[in-house]
Formats: sequence, C-alpha cells, structure tokens
Amino acid sequence: MTSASTPVSPTGTQYAIEILGVTKRYGKITALGGVDLDIEPGEFVVLLGPSGCGKSTLLKIIAGLEDLTDGEVYIGGKLANYLKPSARDVAMVFQNYALYPHMTVRSNLGFPLKMAGRPKAEVSQKVETAAALLQIGSELDKYPDELSGGQRQRVALGRAIVREPLAFLMDEPLSNLDALLRVQMRSELLRLHKRVGRTTVYVTHDQIEAMTMADRVVVMRHGLIQQIGPPDEVYRRPANRFVASFVGSPPMNILDGRIATADGRRTFIGPFPVEITGLAGATVDDGPAAIGIRSEELLLTTEATAGSFPAVIELVEPVGADIFLTATVEAGTVITIRVDAETKVEEGATVHIQIAPGATRLFDAAGDRVRLAGDGA
Amino acid sequence: MSVAVEPRHGNPGALQAIAAEHARSRRRRRLRGLGKHAFLIVVTLLLVAPFYYVVLASFKSSTEIFTYPPKLLPIPPFIGNYQKLLGDTGFLRWMFNTLFVAGTVTLIKVFMDSMAGYALAKLQLTGKRAIFLAMLILLMVPLGALIVPLWALVNWMGLTNTYLALILPPLANPLGVFLMRQFILGLPKDLENAGRLDGLSEFGIYRRIILPLIKPGLVVLAVIIFTDQFMSFIWPLIATSSDDLQVLTVGVAALRSHGGADYGLWSAAAVMSLVPIGVFFFVLQRQFLARSLAGALKQ
Amino acid sequence: MFLFFVVFLVIPVVGTVWWSTQAGGIVGGTTNVGLQNFQRLPDLVGATAAIQNTLIFALLSIPPILIGALAISLVLARVGRGAAAYRFFVYFPVLVPGVVAGLIWLFLTNVDFGLFDNVLRAVGVQPVTWLGSDTALGVLAALDVWRNVGYWAIFFVAAIIGLPQELYQAASLDGASTAKRFWYLTLPLMRRILFFAIVVSTIWGLQVFDTALVLTNGGPGTATTTIIFRVWQYVFGTNDKVGFAAAISLVLIVAILTLTLAQMRLLRSRRGDD
Repeated sequence: MTSASTPVSPTGTQYAIEILGVTKRYGKITALGGVDLDIEPGEFVVLLGPSGCGKSTLLKIIAGLEDLTDGEVYIGGKLANYLKPSARDVAMVFQNYALYPHMTVRSNLGFPLKMAGRPKAEVSQKVETAAALLQIGSELDKYPDELSGGQRQRVALGRAIVREPLAFLMDEPLSNLDALLRVQMRSELLRLHKRVGRTTVYVTHDQIEAMTMADRVVVMRHGLIQQIGPPDEVYRRPANRFVASFVGSPPMNILDGRIATADGRRTFIGPFPVEITGLAGATVDDGPAAIGIRSEELLLTTEATAGSFPAVIELVEPVGADIFLTATVEAGTVITIRVDAETKVEEGATVHIQIAPGATRLFDAAGDRVRLAGDGA
Repeated sequence: MSVAVEPRHGNPGALQAIAAEHARSRRRRRLRGLGKHAFLIVVTLLLVAPFYYVVLASFKSSTEIFTYPPKLLPIPPFIGNYQKLLGDTGFLRWMFNTLFVAGTVTLIKVFMDSMAGYALAKLQLTGKRAIFLAMLILLMVPLGALIVPLWALVNWMGLTNTYLALILPPLANPLGVFLMRQFILGLPKDLENAGRLDGLSEFGIYRRIILPLIKPGLVVLAVIIFTDQFMSFIWPLIATSSDDLQVLTVGVAALRSHGGADYGLWSAAAVMSLVPIGVFFFVLQRQFLARSLAGALKQ
Repeated sequence: MFLFFVVFLVIPVVGTVWWSTQAGGIVGGTTNVGLQNFQRLPDLVGATAAIQNTLIFALLSIPPILIGALAISLVLARVGRGAAAYRFFVYFPVLVPGVVAGLIWLFLTNVDFGLFDNVLRAVGVQPVTWLGSDTALGVLAALDVWRNVGYWAIFFVAAIIGLPQELYQAASLDGASTAKRFWYLTLPLMRRILFFAIVVSTIWGLQVFDTALVLTNGGPGTATTTIIFRVWQYVFGTNDKVGFAAAISLVLIVAILTLTLAQMRLLRSRRGDD
C-alpha cells in the first residue's frame, strides 16, 4: 500500500498513534472489546492491567504482529491496519529481549538497519551512537549469552533506538529483572525518555512502574479501558472500583454498604455511617454502594470525635518508614491504615479513626465512581 | 480528561480501504495455505506412489504385470502371488522368526537398558566416566562394520545358526542406555530422596519410583529397538544359514537371489513384510515420531 | 549389561584390528602378515572400487536428503490441519527394511513394467535403463533419498518448532522478509542440528548394503558394490581375503569414529545458542 492511497487520519498528524474502536476476537473470546486511545507525540503512555486484560494484545496490534478484528489504527497519521510491521515505523522491546543469540551485540543492534539496506557506514555509526547512549559500548563484540540481564535489556533497547522510529513499544521489559535492577532500569528508562523524547507505549502489570514513569496511564481490564489519565489522577480519582483497588499499594480500602435517604439527607451506611455531601448535580440511587478510602487517608485519633469510628487493631506491620495497621471495624470489615513509624499502637487496641476531608470516594452499584462536589473533576 | 471519549471513526475512505485490504490479505493467506498443502501433497504422493504400485503388482499375475498400459486398479485381484508366498515359501516362518527375535531383544533390552541407564545416571561406580565415554564413542559403530570378528566370535562360541546368535549381539548397542540415562536424569531428584528416606533399597527405588515414571520413555525405546531389529539384515544374513532360522529380511532377499524373476511373488512379499510394521506405526505414531522429535530437542 | 557391551562390542572392535593383520580365509588357519593387508589395499581393485562407490553414493544421496528434508520441514512445521497425516506418510518409507525397499524399487526401475519407464512411455519418451552401469549408483542414491528424507524431515520439524517465536517477531519488526528470516535466523539457529544431521546421515550412508544387494547385487559389474558389500564378499565368498575384509572394515570404523569425534568436538564449542 503506497502512501498515496493510504487513508489519513481525520485529525492529520496531530497524534502519534490513534487507536479507534480496536476489537480483537478469537472465536468466542474477546481479547479487546473496542478500545479508543489517542497518544500525543513524545508522550510516555503506560498500559496497565492484570494479566489477560488485553494490554499486550493491544501492543502487538499496534506493532502489526497481530491482526485486529475491527477498528482502525493510525500511526503517524496513516492508516496502519494492514501495513507490515516493519512498515509502521515502530520499534519494539520484548519481555524476553528477543536478542538474536547467534549474533554479536553489534550485529544485533545493526540488524534492523541492515534489513533496511542502509549503507555500512551509516549502520556502524548509528550502532556506536546507540551503544554509547546505553553505555554498552564495551560489549559490542560479545554475544548475548555473555551478558547480564541488565545488559541484554540495554541491547534490546538499543536495537529499538537505532531505528529512530516514530514510537517505541515496550512489552513488560523490566519484568525479567531482579528487584534492584528493576528500580535502576526504571530511572534509566525515564532518563532516556527525557533525552530522546520519543513516543513510548509501555505495557506492564506493575503499577509502581506505571505510577513513576507514565505521562498518562491507561488502566485496562478484560479487554476494555477502565480509565485514562495522569498517574496522580488515576490514583486519587479512580474511575471505578477496579482501578481504585488495582492502583496503589496497599490497595485502597473499599467498604460496601448502602445509600439511604432520610430527611432529605443522604447517607452512606456501611461499617460506619458517612454522610454524603455535595451530591447535587450527580445522581445515585439508594441502594447498594461502596466507598473507597486510601490507607494514608485514615487518621488515628486518640479519642472519639465527631465523624470518627472505632476499630480494633489486628496486625501491626512495620515497613521501614511506615507502619501498616490492619484493623477490623465492627461489622467484620477489614481495613488497612498507614501511619508513620513513630506511632505507637498495639495489637488488640481499640483506636478511633477519622477520615481525611475529601478523601471519600463513592462508588455506585455498578462500581463506577460518582462524582461529588469538591472532587475537582 | 479521565473518561474515554466517544468512539469515533476516521474518514469513511478508511473503512473501505480496510475492507479491501482485508479481502486482499485473506485471499493471499488462502493461496499461501493452498500452496503449502499442494507442496506437501506432491511430496507425499512421490513418497507413497511406489507403495501403491507394488501393492497393485502384488495382485496381478505375472503376465498382467508386464502388460502396458498397466491397470491402475487391482480389479479383479489375483491372489495367486499371495498363495504362493504363504504356501510355498518359508515366509510365515520368517515372519515368526523376526517377530520372535525382535520381540525378545526388545523385552530384554528394555529392562537391561533402563537398569543400566539408571546406574549410569545415579549410582557411583568406579570407572563410570571411562565406561560412559567408551560407550559414547562406540555408539555409532554399526554391526555391519564388525561382521568379521563378530562372526568369528560367535563361531568360536559355537553359537552360529542359533537363535542366540541373533539375539545376543544386538543387546550390546548402547543407544538404549543413553536414552534411558537422559530420561532418568531429567526426573526430579527429590523423588528418589524421598524414597531413600522411606527406606527403599537402590533396587527398590528403581522398581517403585523410577520405573513407573519412565514408562513413556520405555515405550519409545521399545519402539526403536523393535524397529531396528525388524529391519536388521546383514547380521542375520551371516549369522544363520539354515532355512528355518531365516528372518524376514534375509528370507525376502533370498527370494530375489534364488528363485527366477517372479515379480508377482516379490511384490506380495514386499507388501506382506510391511504389514506388521505398518500396523505398529499406525497405532503407535506418536511414539515412533518421538524418537526423531526427542533427538532434535536434545541438541 | 556392561558385560554384553564388552563382549559384543569392544571385543569385536579389537578383534577387527587383529583380523586385519591376518591373511587367509576365515575358516581354516590364518597367518599373521602384519600391516601388509593395509599396504596392499589400494592395489586391490575391488576394495578401492568399493570405497569409491560408497563415497560417491554418499555425495549423491546426502545433500538431496538433507535439503529435501529441510524444505519439507519448513512447510510441514507451518501447516495445521492434516499435519499428522502428512507426517505419517512422509515418515513411512523410513520404516521399510532395506531389502524390501530394494524390492520395491525393482518395481520402479524395471525396464518393462517399472513405474518410471511407464510414466516415460505415457509422455512419449523412450524408456531408460535405470540400472545400467552408469546410472545404477545414482538410482541407489535416489532410493536412499526416498527412504530417509522423511526421518530428517520430522527431525527438523521438531527443531523448527522449538525455535523461539519472539525472535521471529522481532525480526519481522526489524524488516526482515520471509526469505531473510530464513537465512539470518532459521539457518544459523539450526546449525548444530544440521551438522548433526550431516554427520549421522554420512555414517549411515557409508554403511549402505542391503539395498545394493537386493536392487543390483552389487552390479552391474561393480557399479554398486559398496564397502560393506565388499567386506561380505571377501569374508564369505572367498577363502583368502579375510584380512582384507577386516582391513576395510577397520578403515570404515576409523572413518566413522573420526566423524563422531569431530561432531562431538564441534558440538562443544558451539556458539550462541540460547
């Protein structure tokens, strides 16, 4: 397909990658159920979700390694649905690096350029540049099985970099590294992104990676996008219960209950009653609902105050600078509270807990968040 | 903006182009699939055609065989060849001999090799390394190259022209031991440790723990040994001289060199020889192919 | 088990060495003539012809076997439906005992009613004498190809299936066409296996005997007399050539061992497979 006849996105080249209504079905199984996403040039977008949510599938569809059942993908403003992977101007970093084991690092790095028929001088110059950028210049003549995990990672990155593509696609590249290395590589990747500045689509199930690296996070589940937004927005104002409990560690406390109306005031009745204010403008029926509160948004007070509720501490877990308390509220509901390490609490003690103002998120029966006034969004 | 935008589609030209490209790539894929199958079918035909031709001939009388153009379907079938084969030649005897020898060798070797493989894999023996190396190197030396001294040896032992002569030498092939050793090495070590803790003797461990686990390997091994024995020719040729000890391969070869050119008989012989192995193969396909598959993976 | 090994394998090998220094028949007395047998070997027309024939045979049969097997395996590895059936038919000739295969090919190569010549007649071409002294060895080689291509095809299929898929995805993203992927990825990754195949099929090829016996009985003349054929002839057909037979056998054994050792050595220092 020549570019003369290739359809162009209606929005021109405003976006680096556009995904419209992309659906993927295998027989009866729907891997992606209609996904829409616009990616800005230079953006670092993270596809986040549990295994099986479709994030890797989406990435492979963008790359052209898998076909889609329905929808359109535009890369660089051109329709890419049926373009060969190498014609899409994207480069991919695989989870297992996919380095060619029988070629040296140098040949690995140069392979895509060689396939494109670039002259040798250009190839070796680009290889050297990429190697220097990733600090693997001294490994150029070694073979992949002589390298450590972190070095192999860099080679995989390098192979993507030499192509100078429109976008990088990364499929859980850090999941094969040990914890320490992972933290290191994370900041390296970020640094790299700041320097090179190319559009990146990054897939992971690790929400810490998502939180630290993303310009925007795309939370996915069961083949559908749950929420798109900058990290802190996804964190503070999750769109539904799933996002609320998936993002953040420890997970958000979600308490089920009911909404009841009495005297014109609406109250959420759960393990403890919470008055719902600011519902004006948003509608939610009486009936089953839930609220979510992050563990750091629960404050310990020594005595009962208005709006506080009692809880019994079951477990005290010190983790360095914080302590996680697991506590039971009367109705057998368990919550997690984060306090700083100085706090002295004992297991079995009864404490009083207050909710930080504005920290309550209300979820309706379907699990979506109900916007309350003062939410800011 | 944290809520998904309404689904929209690109320009309508896009949909058309997609549909067109879709149809095009589907067509391409189908052609490629057809091409693959066409290739494989041609190859298969080339490989299988000879068999059919011979089966045809086996149902033709001698005059029919020589006529041109040849009949392509065996109707009406002429069974004289088969009658002659089964009645006038020692074919049935040969078949029995082969099955007997092959079966015996297989049975004995399966046990021997698994024990030896276990020994090589697990036990500490003096000179184990040396034995292993020797076996490895001599693995490839075929019986055919050793017929001179082998025959002399067997002669010296007074075993020429006996069943023993057919059964004993093939037992020396180290291939089975290797396969078993590899297989056993692949089993998790903890199982035998648990057995040891429970008080089993070495042989007990072999019998109760290892043996059941390597059953699939044993089946493959049995298949390999049996097939090899079925097809072996040169050793039985020189080891036995009397008619009633002939194995299938030797007997069939004798048909060629002794009697005149009775093509009908020969074709019947060929077909009948293939029946047992053909049936085995059909039934135990996976095991037969496992040998090739396993060999490749080992590399 | 080790006992058997020693008795029936080690001793005969040693025995061959000893016998190769003898002159005389296998039954009846022999005298020691030292290395004379080896020295006189090249002069023995029958022996050199046999070695020559066998080598030519190997050269004629092994490349087609392996190339054919590779081609088949590449396609076979990528079909889904009917794979089992194809495998069955492709592998079947492997199980045919050599003598039976020889018999079958008699029916293919016979001038009067063989399949080959009948096909030629059908398209109007003159029938060819396939088993003439110029072409017999070639036909023998073709027989071997027919018999063994299936074995290696299945072997290669297993190897191909074992190659990591991700590498191919990476390559296709990197812009490698199907042909390039084969050349730069499949072939190098299969180097060890291909080498193994070459060595093993050579070792088998050197031992060709039963097909030669049945198809042409070593002829016409000595056109298809192979090494083992000659050995057999010497030992059981003559009264004074045992030593030579043993000498030839020893040469063969040494060749096989060399090939095996070479393969083992090269397999150890292989480069970059995973």
